[in-house]
Amino acid sequence: MQSLRVPRPETTLTPPAPRERSRDLLLFLAFIAPNVITLSVFSYWPMIRNLWLSFTYWDMIAPEPLWVGLDNWIEVLTSATFWTVLRNTLVFTVGSVGITILIAMALSLLLNQKRRGRNLVRAAMFAPAILPGSAIALVWTFLLAPYYGLISQAATGLGMPMTRWQNDPVWAMPTVILVVIWKSTGYDAVIFLAGLQGIPRELYEAARVDGANAWQRFVNVTVPGLSPVAFFLTVTSILASFQAFDIIRVMTGGGPVIATTTLIYQVYSEAFVGFNAGRAATYATILFGLMLAITVVQIRMVEKRVTYE
Amino acid sequence: MNLRTRRGALSAAGLLGTGIALAACGGDSASGGASAPAASSGPVKLVYWGAFAANLGKAQEEVVKQFNESQKTVSVEHQFQGSYEELANKLTAALQAKQSPDIAVLSDVWWYKFYLNKAIQPLDDLMKAEKVDTKDYVDSLFNEYVQGGKSYALPFARSTPLFYYNKDAYKKAGLPDRAPKTWDEFAKDFAPKLKGAIDPKQFVFANGGYSAWIFQGVIWQFGGAYSDKDFKMTIGDPKGVQAGEFYRDSIKAGWSQSVKNDTDEFKQMNAVNIINSTGSLVGILDAAKGKFEVGTGFLPEGPAGFGCPTGGAGVAILSGLAKEKQQASMQYIAFATSPKVQAVWSQQTGYMPVRKAAIESKEMQDFIKTNPNFKTALDQLPKTKFQDSARVFVPNGDQILSKGLERILVNQEAPSTVFKEVADTLTKEAEPVIKARKALGA
Repeated sequence: MQSLRVPRPETTLTPPAPRERSRDLLLFLAFIAPNVITLSVFSYWPMIRNLWLSFTYWDMIAPEPLWVGLDNWIEVLTSATFWTVLRNTLVFTVGSVGITILIAMALSLLLNQKRRGRNLVRAAMFAPAILPGSAIALVWTFLLAPYYGLISQAATGLGMPMTRWQNDPVWAMPTVILVVIWKSTGYDAVIFLAGLQGIPRELYEAARVDGANAWQRFVNVTVPGLSPVAFFLTVTSILASFQAFDIIRVMTGGGPVIATTTLIYQVYSEAFVGFNAGRAATYATILFGLMLAITVVQIRMVEKRVTYE
Repeated sequence: MNLRTRRGALSAAGLLGTGIALAACGGDSASGGASAPAASSGPVKLVYWGAFAANLGKAQEEVVKQFNESQKTVSVEHQFQGSYEELANKLTAALQAKQSPDIAVLSDVWWYKFYLNKAIQPLDDLMKAEKVDTKDYVDSLFNEYVQGGKSYALPFARSTPLFYYNKDAYKKAGLPDRAPKTWDEFAKDFAPKLKGAIDPKQFVFANGGYSAWIFQGVIWQFGGAYSDKDFKMTIGDPKGVQAGEFYRDSIKAGWSQSVKNDTDEFKQMNAVNIINSTGSLVGILDAAKGKFEVGTGFLPEGPAGFGCPTGGAGVAILSGLAKEKQQASMQYIAFATSPKVQAVWSQQTGYMPVRKAAIESKEMQDFIKTNPNFKTALDQLPKTKFQDSARVFVPNGDQILSKGLERILVNQEAPSTVFKEVADTLTKEAEPVIKARKALGA
């Protein structure tokens, strides 16, 4: 909170009078109040309430939830559904985040070169990031539609069997991941680009003077230089992917069966399809714990390996 | 959900837990007027939540418009809320926020949940005051909403599954111009002939949509049931498994495909046979106009004979309304389910007229003569039955059953395992209902 303290004029070298101190405190409280209040009302209180709900049975219509103790937790953790959903979440996260970051990095290297029309390409590449996920999902559903969809026609034209991409137990997840990658690559690439331009020229020149070839310059200068950006993108993308909902909702509805149901989607379907608030709250709590753990691990362990200037 | 700063990420992580609480506030923005007290002068204003889109939506708007023009004391505002599921979802949220509408359309699998929670009110006194001729409603449809001697909804958009076929494809395959009499005939005779005659990109039969409703008929045709009246789950019994095997074989044998929306596949001439609601009839006929001829028939019989459930939606009044609003709501429902309106509504949609007088009316009888597909649907109606409690009374029963069917159709899992698991899940999910019924003295 150091940065929030009001800077005092340099002339007051003596410790502030008690009155002044209490005024400082009031000012401090006034500054943080809007954030603390909104976060408490809309984040922290619901989180506590959510945890409490996970120990109840509630169909969301009955006036009062019914206390059931650990029932939901035992049921969820011993169900095959939970483990399938957890696996789906991991596949989805690793697939979408990993591939997006690799492609984005490659793209940014390409776009960092001085070529004609690169601004146009940069803008075009960024476009999907500002489109709503549900709209993107609808367009892709059109492209992927069996028989008349562009992709299906191309695939059958190449001799592939007709596939219902969104309704196939094997293909549904890769299809969703593909669309997520398409949506997020542009954004990540632009951030990488900013990172690339922040790497001092002198480092490359020095490396060249030392006789480093292109690959060595990439490994020893570019990669460490990009590591803060890569770290930032990984943390935020993983959190975002844990909460990715719109594209799944529109494209597959979590199906077929539960092939594309991730944790967040399971929270939704328990709550708003099955109207089982207790079980939904249990999944939500698990999801929260998982995200918290991953973020802590990333910040504690991985950030050590990030090279800040 | 864009989390591009750390603070954003953390607060979003916090927000996540609020999903339930927050979303519970969403979706009812339109119902603000519902809770406002009606002005003492002017008509009683009512908010009515509907669930009909496209041609059905137009027909619904028309019913409301006519009602508003027919009298001056009540004014109904119709608000379209999405599918039956979306409407039920929003209604749940609206009840929490105490911003519910006055009247709502509730489908076969939803009204009971609201009844158990006392969210909808009994209609008997209101019907009496409105002089509604309860004896004129088709008995089976009327009785489905009677609990403990009282009516909690009136049938409005009631439907049954119907067998639809593409007549052009049947002609091409040299088949008679009629629906198959039995599944045996279909699988062994119709399907291979159709497969040989249709385009490679067409297929014989599509499965999709409200699959647990369609399969309700099929499991009966095989002599099984989802459950008995007392919530004993019987879907995993040999007859049920046999019906499941038949479904799985239909995919394996290559004459059936599992799709997202079977009606669309039929309209686009991809699928040449489907089983779908009579409520889709007019939409299908419109889409097929000028492209292909549509034929309809009773559902095929299985080893145990004929089986076909009722379905669709009724209209209910939400609990806790002021007295004048209650009666005004009844006035609208009485109008919407009157023989005159039902005859028109039925012709515009394909839903079954819920009034005997509507079925017998000259208007309807004339209409049937020129529209044989409507006759099929109407003729099948007396042979239909109320659905098993597992689908319509167990919370989420419809979803549990559909997921099970998807495992068989899409994943090709063994029906014996799947249905046993489904039965176990249903048994567990039925517990709160059984408890609530006891509390209500049912």
